[in-house]
Amino acid sequence: MAKRIIYPLYQLGNPQLRIFRPTFNLTLVRPGKEQPPDTVQFRIPLEMTKFDVRNYLEKIYSVPVAAVRTRIQYCTNKKRNHLNQRVKRPDYKVAYVQLAQQQTFQFPDIFPEKDRKHEEGSVEEMQEKFMEDERQRQKPDPRRGGVTEWFGL
Amino acid sequence: MAAAVTSRLTAAVCRQFQRVVTVSSYTQPQCATQAFSKFHSCQRRQTYDSWWFRSSTNNRALHTSCVREGLEDFFDLPENWGEQTVKSGAPWTGKQLRVKSNEDLHKLWYVLLKEKNMLLTLEQEAKRQRLPMPSPERLKKVERSMKRLDTVVTEREDSLRLLQTGQERGRPGEWRRNVFGKTFWYRFKEHPIPWYLNSRYKRRRFFEPSHVAPYTRLSLEKYLRSKIRKEKREKRNQKMLAAVFPKKTALA
Repeated sequence: MAKRIIYPLYQLGNPQLRIFRPTFNLTLVRPGKEQPPDTVQFRIPLEMTKFDVRNYLEKIYSVPVAAVRTRIQYCTNKKRNHLNQRVKRPDYKVAYVQLAQQQTFQFPDIFPEKDRKHEEGSVEEMQEKFMEDERQRQKPDPRRGGVTEWFGL
Repeated sequence: MAAAVTSRLTAAVCRQFQRVVTVSSYTQPQCATQAFSKFHSCQRRQTYDSWWFRSSTNNRALHTSCVREGLEDFFDLPENWGEQTVKSGAPWTGKQLRVKSNEDLHKLWYVLLKEKNMLLTLEQEAKRQRLPMPSPERLKKVERSMKRLDTVVTEREDSLRLLQTGQERGRPGEWRRNVFGKTFWYRFKEHPIPWYLNSRYKRRRFFEPSHVAPYTRLSLEKYLRSKIRKEKREKRNQKMLAAVFPKKTALA
C-alpha cells in the first residue's frame, strides 16, 4: 500500500492515470496568517500536486474548487535528542484552496467549553466537590477588603 | 441480490451521508468502525433513526445554500465537539472484510479515508489549541482497518492474476547480484529509453568484481556456521530438558 507506489510512465496517447483507493490524507488546518474568506488551508503529502488536490476534493468531498496553490514547508533538522543526534521534523506541503461559486469557509471552534454534569455519587463529582472546597479554603478573608496578609494586623 | 446491493449502495451510510436527507431505503449502514454493526445493532440503528428524524431541529441537513458543503466532512458531528471521549467501535478484521464484495470494499476504503482525514484534522487542531485530542485510539483503529482492507484486496488481485496469467508478482523483476556480492530481487522500473542509452543505469553495476568473490564465500560460510550453531544449541537445550524432566509413563 504505502510501499513506494510507482505510477505507470506517461507518454503521449496513454490513457488517463486513475488512482483507485488513494492513500493520500488531507488535513484541514487553521491558517496561521489571516486568509481571504474563500480560502481553505490544507496540509497534504509531499507527493501530491495541485491537480491531485483539485480532483481529490471534487470527487471525494464534492467541494467546488476554483484554484489551488501549494508550497513546501521545510521543517528543522537542527533539534538534537538526548544522544546529541540531529532529529528531523518531517517536511510537509501546504495547499491553499480557493472555493468556487463564491462559497466561504470559516474554521470552526472544535473545542467549545461545555459544562459537564457528573452523575450523583460518582468519583468525578466527589473530586469536583473537593477541588471546590480547596479553592474556597485558599481564598483570602473577604472582611479584609482585598488587602493582602502581608500588611500586618 | 442486485437490488439489495444497489439499495445498500445508495443507503451506504456513515456520518457524511447522515447529513443528506434524501436516502430512499434504509439498510445496514457501513460504518468506519463496525461499532455496533458488529452486534447487528439495535443501538446504532436507533441513533441513526433519531438523527434522521431529528432534521427538523437540526438545520444542517436541510441547508439549501450550504456554505461549506463537503468541508463539513473534515469535522466530527457537532455534538462531539468539546467532548473528552468519543465512543467508537472495534476495527474491521480481515475475516469480516473477506466476506464483503469488491464494491463494498471500495466504498469502505473511502469511508475510512474520510474518517482518517477527519481525525488528522482534529489531531492538528488539538495540538494547535494545546488541548488533548478526544479518543486518539480511533486513528490507530482506522489505520489498521485500512491496512487489512488493502491486504484483502491484494490477496484477491494476486489470486486473480495467478489464475489468469500464472504470474506470481504484479511487478516484474529478477534476481541480481550487486557490487558487494549480495544476491537480491531487483524490481524493474518503467523507462522511456532502453538501458544501453541510460547512462545513470549503466553506472549502477549488477555484477560483483573479481576481488569481491572470496568475501561472498566467506560470508556464506559464516551464515552456515551460525545456522548449524543455532541448531546444535537447540538440540542441546532439548537434551538438557529431557534429562531434567524425564518422560514417565503413568503408573497404573
